[in-house]
Amino acid sequence: MPLKGDQLLLYGVQYATYALEVWVCASLVWGERWRRLKGLGLYVTSLFLLDGVARPAVSNFFGAGSIPFYYFYWITDVVLALGAFAVVCGFFRRACTREEKLWSFVRLLLIFVFLIVLGVTALSITRHYAHLYIMYIIELSQNLYFTCLILNTLLYVMLQQLAIDDDELGLLACGMGVQFAGEAACFALLHLTADNSMARGLTKFLAPSCTLAMLWIWVYAIGKTPQTVSARFMRGRNEALVEAVGD
Amino acid sequence: MFMAALILMVSTGLFFFYLQAVCQKILRRQFTQEFFQSIVNANRLEFPSVRKAIENFGSPVEYPRLTVTLKCDFLALTYLLKNAANVNQHYSYEERLLILYFKLVFVSLVTRHWLKLRETPAALKLTAILQYFANVVGERVNTVRFGNLTASDYLLNL
Repeated sequence: MPLKGDQLLLYGVQYATYALEVWVCASLVWGERWRRLKGLGLYVTSLFLLDGVARPAVSNFFGAGSIPFYYFYWITDVVLALGAFAVVCGFFRRACTREEKLWSFVRLLLIFVFLIVLGVTALSITRHYAHLYIMYIIELSQNLYFTCLILNTLLYVMLQQLAIDDDELGLLACGMGVQFAGEAACFALLHLTADNSMARGLTKFLAPSCTLAMLWIWVYAIGKTPQTVSARFMRGRNEALVEAVGD
Repeated sequence: MFMAALILMVSTGLFFFYLQAVCQKILRRQFTQEFFQSIVNANRLEFPSVRKAIENFGSPVEYPRLTVTLKCDFLALTYLLKNAANVNQHYSYEERLLILYFKLVFVSLVTRHWLKLRETPAALKLTAILQYFANVVGERVNTVRFGNLTASDYLLNL
């Protein structure tokens, strides 16, 4: 059966995402940035292995509408959400490299936020006794994504407030933000429109596009991070210029 | 329902905020030298004088002239980005993103004018984007100049 235009576009976005995931991993290994960005590398690798390899394999084996695939999809989704949370924690650690006191406070805050998410999810699903386990997984995954969006925004504000001169980290956080904000908007739109078919069609395309945008920003951040010139360097250059004119 | 609407508004706002932050980060790129000056002189671009007017007098030149100036410079620079010393003759992804960003900021400039708000921040952002484009073009031209064949070599061999 020939593919429709929107299906073709969806496949295009999906395969471009896989290609960029491989590209991010390759550029981390190639440029020996692996040590510096271990957490990010692990997250992108797991994203590729779970979303690009395992899910299609399970879907082909059991069928896309089967119960095992449904369970597998949501369990891997919560694994990825936990991975994303860990990556955001890693970004916080990097932002606080020179501020050990701040890090000890941020670490406690992150643990506290994680426990709150677990608790709030448990409370909100007490009504769904019949499918307790899978409902908990789905709810936890959505709550974790939204928490990551809030934490990522806090991280970005912190980077600006503390004037941390790390453009790579800033871009990585922006990439993460684009992904989380897009996904959260999709979830909210679906909820508002009561799973309307048009909204579902839109989010089916928007959510992978946000992942694609995040990966593209990460590729740019890893490969081409703009090098900012420090004020000290500029001062030195100006002094050298004054001396040269004086001579 | 209320929470979902709130999350939709907040996350949509954050989505555009992060996209703008990415554009700003790209614009922060430092070039090894100020390549844009030669491109400005060679093509008689006017955006540096617009920026100077804003920096010196706190307000841009009159609105119709400002929009025409920025638009003309944008057209000239996007043409150069695509065709000047560009082997592939197409824009890179970051250039496409910045072109889109320029168009959005331009719309915001027009809207600000209609609403009688301050146009200066939008005008400054537009000149920053144009300067980035001019720097990229200048850098490319400079790379060609210091490649195997310089511009003078080329002319001598004609």
